[in-house]
Amino acid sequence: MERNSYILQMQGITKEFPGVRALDDVNLNVHTGSIHAICGENGAGKSTLMKVLSGVYPYGTYDGKIIYMGQEMKFKNIKESENAGIAIIHQELTMIPELSITENIFMGNEITHKGLINWAEERTRTSEILKKVGLTINPDTLIKHLGVGQQQLVEIAKALSKNVKLLILDEPTSALNEADSANLLELMKGLRDKGITCIMISHKLNEIAEVSDAVTVIRDGHTVESYDVEAGKVDEDQIIKSMVGRSIENRYPEHTPKIGDVIFEVDNWCIEDPEVAGRMVCKNSSFNVRAGEIVGFAGLMGAGRTELMRSIFGRNYGIYKSGDVKIKGRKVKLTSVEQAIKNGIAYVPEDRKNLGLNLLDSIRKTVVSADLDKITRSGLLSLDMEQSAAEEYRQSLKIKTSSIDVGVTTLSGGNQQKVVLSKWMFTEPDILILDEPTRGIDVGAKYEIYKLIHQLADQGKAVILVSSELPELLGMADRIYTLFEGAITGEMMSYEANQEDLMKKMTITSNS
Amino acid sequence: MKRRTLLSMAMVATMALATFTGCGGSREGAASDTATETTETAETTEATAEESFPGFDDGATIGVSLPWLGTQNWKEAEEMFTAQLEEAGYKPIVQAADQKVTQQQQQIESMIENGAKVIVVGPVDGSQLGAVLEQAKEAGVYVIGYDRLLENTSGVDGVVQFGSVKTGELQAQALLQGLEEKKGEPPYNIELFGGGPADPNAPNFFTGAMSVLQPKIDDGTLVVVSGQTDFTQCATVDWDNAKAQSRMDSLLAGNYSDKEIDGVLSPNDGIARAIITSCENAGQDIPVVSGLDAENESVEWVWSGRQYSTVAKPTQDLVAKTIEIIDSLKAGNGMPATDVEVDNGVKNVRVYELPPVVVTKDNAKEVFANDPSRLELLK
Amino acid sequence: MKYIKQVLGGDLRQYTMVVALGLLILIFNVISDGRMLTSSNFQNLLSGNAYVLVLALGMLMVIVIGQIDLSVGSVAGFAGMVMALVAKNYNVPWWVAVLIALAIGILAGAWHGFFLSQLGIPGFITTLGGMMIFRGGVIWISRSISVPAPEELKWFGAGYLPEWGPSFTGMNNSTLLLGIIGIVCYAVAQIRKYNSSKNSAVGATPLWAVVTRIVLMTVLIGYFTYLFGSGRVGTSFPVPGLILLLLTIIYHIITQRTKFGRHVYAVGGNKAAAALSGVNVKRTYFLTMMNMSFLAAVAGILFVGRSTAAGPADGTSWEMDAIASVFIGGAAVSGGVGTILATIVGGMVMAVLNNGLMLMGVGADKTQVIKGFVLLAAVAFDVYNKKTGKSSIIGRILSK
Repeated sequence: MERNSYILQMQGITKEFPGVRALDDVNLNVHTGSIHAICGENGAGKSTLMKVLSGVYPYGTYDGKIIYMGQEMKFKNIKESENAGIAIIHQELTMIPELSITENIFMGNEITHKGLINWAEERTRTSEILKKVGLTINPDTLIKHLGVGQQQLVEIAKALSKNVKLLILDEPTSALNEADSANLLELMKGLRDKGITCIMISHKLNEIAEVSDAVTVIRDGHTVESYDVEAGKVDEDQIIKSMVGRSIENRYPEHTPKIGDVIFEVDNWCIEDPEVAGRMVCKNSSFNVRAGEIVGFAGLMGAGRTELMRSIFGRNYGIYKSGDVKIKGRKVKLTSVEQAIKNGIAYVPEDRKNLGLNLLDSIRKTVVSADLDKITRSGLLSLDMEQSAAEEYRQSLKIKTSSIDVGVTTLSGGNQQKVVLSKWMFTEPDILILDEPTRGIDVGAKYEIYKLIHQLADQGKAVILVSSELPELLGMADRIYTLFEGAITGEMMSYEANQEDLMKKMTITSNS
Repeated sequence: MKRRTLLSMAMVATMALATFTGCGGSREGAASDTATETTETAETTEATAEESFPGFDDGATIGVSLPWLGTQNWKEAEEMFTAQLEEAGYKPIVQAADQKVTQQQQQIESMIENGAKVIVVGPVDGSQLGAVLEQAKEAGVYVIGYDRLLENTSGVDGVVQFGSVKTGELQAQALLQGLEEKKGEPPYNIELFGGGPADPNAPNFFTGAMSVLQPKIDDGTLVVVSGQTDFTQCATVDWDNAKAQSRMDSLLAGNYSDKEIDGVLSPNDGIARAIITSCENAGQDIPVVSGLDAENESVEWVWSGRQYSTVAKPTQDLVAKTIEIIDSLKAGNGMPATDVEVDNGVKNVRVYELPPVVVTKDNAKEVFANDPSRLELLK
Repeated sequence: MKYIKQVLGGDLRQYTMVVALGLLILIFNVISDGRMLTSSNFQNLLSGNAYVLVLALGMLMVIVIGQIDLSVGSVAGFAGMVMALVAKNYNVPWWVAVLIALAIGILAGAWHGFFLSQLGIPGFITTLGGMMIFRGGVIWISRSISVPAPEELKWFGAGYLPEWGPSFTGMNNSTLLLGIIGIVCYAVAQIRKYNSSKNSAVGATPLWAVVTRIVLMTVLIGYFTYLFGSGRVGTSFPVPGLILLLLTIIYHIITQRTKFGRHVYAVGGNKAAAALSGVNVKRTYFLTMMNMSFLAAVAGILFVGRSTAAGPADGTSWEMDAIASVFIGGAAVSGGVGTILATIVGGMVMAVLNNGLMLMGVGADKTQVIKGFVLLAAVAFDVYNKKTGKSSIIGRILSK
């Protein structure tokens, strides 16, 4: 009865898109009541596999077999897979912010009585389900008033309300802070104990190591490796090795900094929240960066890292209250992004798709988009110069693409990020602010981006690196500032810092 | 390399052009004669009677461009023109422009394109067809205005219409008669409505009506309670019934909370019915209301006494007169003689005026004696 | 079929509408016994639709920034009416009246732009207000009566280029000159492109393809030159068509080859990303709306010229025709996508359809129904293509 212990077996799944074979004979076997991790680089085919499973790609558009609870399934749409007890929690949350928790949980499955919604019943049921995921909040609360972590839990609650047997979580912790992530992982363990099987797609190897019972690694549309995890048997480096197909000895490239004079200074920077009057998102922040130096900014979500950087970048965020910016010792007034760019500042935003790129543009148009003056000749844009600039960055940054005329959406996350970096390198900045430059990027591409950051620093640029991953900061930055609730709470050289020290500064105010 | 490519390009271009020049001989020299000829004609219309009116063959195409089909008389006109022109041996193209000037301009152009010999135009806006009608003129097409004056253009040969000032006078006389009959002793409280300002007839109706009503207003027989006696105040944009009704609603609400309304001058039947409906909604007794066009519903209303009068401008008369002119043109006899000429802003245009007929309950059976479909309504 | 692809330059999808337009013209020409492809009909087609296409140029940019302008018809009517009134009542020269009309367009656009960019009121609402304000304004100032326009304006709305030079050419020499300029410009541009692509080594088009391209275009332009030039003496390529042609070229360059044009697409594609790339989003909104109303004034002037009078109902529902042209041309409702040339093709599809159906004697009612279906079909086809990632039917036939 070995077979029956599997809740799901996907056998020989092959899925082709025009010109691309996204999945090639992929096999996945998931034990009933386990947590099964799927990992692989971006573009390896994990999401496609899950779309095949959930019926987004209906039966007939792929080859292979799906055996679920002992039966072969031929899902034609998501509804059918949901009815069978399969639920996906997507990376992007899919709830309606203006509606309450109850309304969202029963969206599409409303409990009706003679054609009218039975609110009392829905509310009681919602409270019960919320308890299961460890939330004790009023079910009438609007989704928009919840934090991201809580929203994620509500999503799971919604799945539970549908009597889910197989729960698929796609990068569940990518938007969560550490506490919420830990909470979520605990919840997954709890669900497993109640007999609900979970498939978790994740980049975060420490989390995989912590909770999963089995791991399947997918690379380039193939199943590379699949094994059960006995406690402590699989370590992170081993997973990395099978993901990238090579061993990464060192996740951060070697680099000897060539640090020069201070070229960028911010003094007493104070910024008010544009939505909540009187709430300061930056409180008297002062810091400096030297030429050739990489300065890290650490802080938990809501510490005001992004807000600080965007307000410096031509007051793109918040209401300016006070503070000065000095570039190479000269005080400058940066009241618009255009001015900030002219003064040699570049800002690579954390949210690549929403803030970093115009997803409708081609690579060549994106590369030049932050400094069109540079290719303007007597009022007209020179398409030749545009082309040669784009070709140059394509080669020097090894952007993997068939042509610079293709849309940026056709690129993988890492290559998209390279395009964004090209766009800012094209403005020839002196000060480069990188906000979470490796978020959502696979291990191999991360390494290339790290090397690029080193190159930029070696060219004498001042680099500011904002990151949520403490190992990344410790591995990359020369000096690290910590932020807590809008204030800079500490500054330390990275060779004398460790994760624990940083975390302490990120959670306590310096005067306590 | 570059030079040679350029050179070969130039050669290709020259060759291509030469090909076209070769067949370029077909350019209509004859048309230019016509053009100069007609221009002269236009200039000399007033001065001389020796205009030349070349006739045309049987089975010639006749274009009829109507403003829209939203009221009964235009729908009737469409049907009658189609049937009667075919009967007379012509090839009719009858189109309606949905109240859009641009649409009508393009329709007239396509009629010229289709080789029409005569184009009958019931304009959406009589003054906005200038360039197109001149184009027709240059192409040697006769242009006859139908029901409305064609202004601001030399490209018009004549206009067939009911005397519009006369119509207004008749409407006002019927109103006065009705007030005396139904509303007892003067003074009478009345309100005035005008037609669509873009229609050149509308101010004429109003002028005609005011020539009858103004003396009675001055001597106190009639009281315009709202004080709105100016055409622009009374006009109904686009002859839109809904706009008339909402204006009546506000007049009643603003001025007649403690008064009775006795009569309303209405420029056509649709507006008349809107006015009557509005009065009924406001709880007023139905006032004496004039009308125009003898639409089916209003004929019924006149018969049942809700609307006092309408003015029939029998579409068949207008169509018959138009076809009579077309026949005359075909025979090469030119535009028939008429004693009325109106300045359209560019030239004096021959106008063929037909007399309209007032219809009240008393004479309805006589007026529609030859109109079985309307006679049917009088039961 | 590989050869056809190389001549047309790869992506066949963009030619779908052009092919549809060509087929439409040919089909109508057959059905109407050759009355479609005549000098006078094409002259009329351009004169009669230039105003809508001029509006569509501005509307494309408005739609690309993710907004909509409902006021264009009213602004066109208002500007035209002011022009006619000023010329009639104050006895100023016609060109002063034209300048006043253009100034009114710019002011109206600044008004809309102010509310959109400074107060953040969506364009739909801002211009819905503008639509009412300017429509009411037209009726108010005209007292609902049509006003004759200065005689000179007829040249803009329905005029022809002068006749000159030798008569052996058999056509209007102004038109001929225009055609030759067109062909030469195209050829030079292609050759330059060929030379620069030869150096860059990537995806160089073979010489024969470039030559074929030039020959095809020469034949096409040559044919239309002949068509427009060989009409009745005194007629030529129409003046409103020439104005449209110039504006099309200018706006094509603005949208494709200037910083402002890039900003328009950037703002429409991703406003937040554009702001972080140094684009002044507010200024882009403001200028785009201002430009739209300026073009509305131009359209109003062309129309008054053709109608010889400004009427109180001028411009009613023009915005809808302009918007339809833009969407048939493949622009996206969500903004960021669309080109000037495709919009012109989209507008011409509508115009040819209208014209052809009229030539066939189809009534306005049925024409309207057919146009509605065409709009839906064109956009649905586009959406379907984008969804499936397949190229158009024609593209698929050609690629086999």
